[in-house]
Amino acid sequence: MSEGLFRLRITYPKAGRLRFLSHLELTTACERAARRAGLPYAVTQGFNPKMKVAFGPALPVGTGSTCERFDVWLREYVPAGEALERLRSSSSVDVAPLDACYVALRAPSLAASLTIATYDVVTVGGVSVEDQQGSLDALVKAGELVVEHKGKQKVFDLASTLPKEPKVRTSNGQTVVEVTTRMGDRGSLRPESLVMAAFQRSGTGGSVLSVTRTRLAEEEDA
Amino acid sequence: MSDLWPRIEPLLASVERPARYIDREWGALHIDDAEYHAALVYPDAYELGMANQAIGILYQCLAAIPGVAPERAFLPWRDMAEQMRHNDVPLFTLESCSPLSEMDLVGITLPYELTYSNILEILDLSRIPLRAADRTASDPLVIGGGPCAYNPEPVAAFFDAILIGDGEHAVGQIVSVHRAAKASGASRDEILSALARVEGVYVPSLYSTDSGSAVSLGTAPARVTKRLLDDLGMVRSPVCPVVPFMDVVHDRVTVEVLRGCSRGCRFCQAGMVYRPVRERTADTIVRDVLAGLECTGHEEVSLTSLSSADHSQLEEVLRRLSRRLEGTGVTVSLPSLRVDAFSVEIARLLGGGRKTGLTFAPEAGTQRMRDVINKNVTEEDLLGTVRKAFSAGWHRIKLYFMIGLPTETDADIEGISALVRKVQEAAKESVPPAQRGGIRIGVSVATFVPKAHTPFQWDAQITLDEVRRRQSVLRDSMPKRGVDLSWHDPEVSFLEGVMARGGREIADVIEHAWRAGACYDAWTEEFSLGRWREAFDACGVDPLSIASRVREFDEKLPWDHIQTGLSSEFLRIERERASEAITTPDCTFDECTGCGVCPTLGVDVILGGESRE
Repeated sequence: MSEGLFRLRITYPKAGRLRFLSHLELTTACERAARRAGLPYAVTQGFNPKMKVAFGPALPVGTGSTCERFDVWLREYVPAGEALERLRSSSSVDVAPLDACYVALRAPSLAASLTIATYDVVTVGGVSVEDQQGSLDALVKAGELVVEHKGKQKVFDLASTLPKEPKVRTSNGQTVVEVTTRMGDRGSLRPESLVMAAFQRSGTGGSVLSVTRTRLAEEEDA
Repeated sequence: MSDLWPRIEPLLASVERPARYIDREWGALHIDDAEYHAALVYPDAYELGMANQAIGILYQCLAAIPGVAPERAFLPWRDMAEQMRHNDVPLFTLESCSPLSEMDLVGITLPYELTYSNILEILDLSRIPLRAADRTASDPLVIGGGPCAYNPEPVAAFFDAILIGDGEHAVGQIVSVHRAAKASGASRDEILSALARVEGVYVPSLYSTDSGSAVSLGTAPARVTKRLLDDLGMVRSPVCPVVPFMDVVHDRVTVEVLRGCSRGCRFCQAGMVYRPVRERTADTIVRDVLAGLECTGHEEVSLTSLSSADHSQLEEVLRRLSRRLEGTGVTVSLPSLRVDAFSVEIARLLGGGRKTGLTFAPEAGTQRMRDVINKNVTEEDLLGTVRKAFSAGWHRIKLYFMIGLPTETDADIEGISALVRKVQEAAKESVPPAQRGGIRIGVSVATFVPKAHTPFQWDAQITLDEVRRRQSVLRDSMPKRGVDLSWHDPEVSFLEGVMARGGREIADVIEHAWRAGACYDAWTEEFSLGRWREAFDACGVDPLSIASRVREFDEKLPWDHIQTGLSSEFLRIERERASEAITTPDCTFDECTGCGVCPTLGVDVILGGESRE
């Protein structure tokens, strides 16, 4: 089949109940929405032709987002606004696209270029904003975080993992920790792991209610 | 209706694959202010249930009735069930997230015998009394249906009613009878009596089984005649089915191209009970495939049936679809292939350049044995098919066989090995020498389980010791190189055999085994025959006398009151022809074989084209 001539970049959320989807489930849902929308998508070459599509960095099960992205290559030009409307009416509301725009065919891949992610971690447990900020500052100052995941230990150097220091704020009566991390080849630090480690380290109670990715950025924007 | 979501959501962080429980899939229907809620329940995990075509068809049929909300529910995985019990959360439907116990109707599919313990787990998690006799006016109506309904007795005690046969039209009638009865203030007994008058509906409490077979106690019909949709064209294949997020077992659009199969394999229950053959026309199939793909966004469509390669217009359908789907990356698949050259052509048409593997089912190793079971496949057919497939570029095939068939001798078992060896040689001759090392022959062997309403319904299933002995005969004679030999677990087949031909006494056994922890028995890692043996002992039921005993032709059978249209004379004659290794032709290619279905049920074979080739 023909090579895709147009590369459409879609921004979409992962909200509500659909934050319980895995990365694979989410990507399948996006591809099916593109088919339902009747977009003139390009297919890959080879024995097993598939829709030509590429996704940004994966989100874990349970983590929401306001800023996920995927690229789909089209054989024919469809005005971006029209493509967006068609996608929105073909998507479940909790993942309905927010924006569509064309990018250069030679632009770097989403997965390779988007290395910086910012999250809102909503906490509960009645600890004051000042105490939370203090415990996070102390952890960052310690410089290193050991995280256990599925029986394996991972050591994160916080100076390189955190391009910005975590900030605690209140928003709509909730306490929110804003965490920005740099995603590496050898696994990424989950923001809730950082927040829980800070709480445990300082002996303050509190737990994480929800995690939402709010911004994906390239290295130079960090 | 109570919305349980706020209590379910906190449980999802700690369970595997929460996508099973969240609803919101594309195509899921949320009908506000419905007066009547009907849950369709598949008694296994979401990823199996969402592949079930009956659930999809009935969901659509229910949605078409004004005022009715169809909902879905599945058996939660063990981790979720534990969380729900611990947090006092009952089983819920996906769409409204309401307790199953608040539904008007709970319809549970009976897909295979190994799900019987799951049914009790579902009722218990739902807090609906396990036995129909213990339910009151405030409980939903619990109705079963599906393949296992043709011998409903082992689970009869757990159901208020069981539908025998096709559900498309029956489900609407059941709902309408139930609604009318409720509106008139009818008692539960009156509702059940009214349901017993719906064609195809069996109400177990209106029958006594003291004499060995079920006898009507009053107004219920002496025999329950299976419900039959006489023309598939009357009901459209689901156009906008629910599209799962999760990777389910058959994640694709399915269009049922025909129902029934009259090839007449004597071991095959489906081929006996779903007669006659009713094809959809090529025009309808193409229309429904394209509509289904457009509405769901799926990347694959399967043309399903018991034997799709038999459709009289299959080539036309595939030609039209490949033209319409060119360049979309969407693939078309068939669930099974016949052992013939035509099927290799079909596979080539379907797969494009892909040559992943072909599967064929010769079922038996010698011509005598294949004649006994009426599997009209010859060694020449198989070897010709193999040569054609390997010449066309395939390097892997899988062959299905059974051991323990009636009249089988060790020579028949060694015949399987001899046939596999010939297949291997034919394959080698058909590929260039440099590629011979890449040839793989998969051989999958199941134990034959005699089923109700088949010519082998009177036969004995071989015992576990005998299965092991025959397996070793096969293993010793099988070529060692280039063959991957695998077995269907014989312990599972043994339990299946008891469930398939047991009577009402089995209900106590199922309940006992479930109380001892039996659940998810179809999942190898969850199955324990020991638990079931204890249950048989505790209930005083001898499983061998059910599975491994030869019955006399005039013995009363637990399923005698279920009328499939097949005459018992036909089954008996077929059993006798089997003994003599005489085959019987297929009436859709040849003349009528006198099975009795068409005259008894007042129907006829329907072909999409003029005739079959």
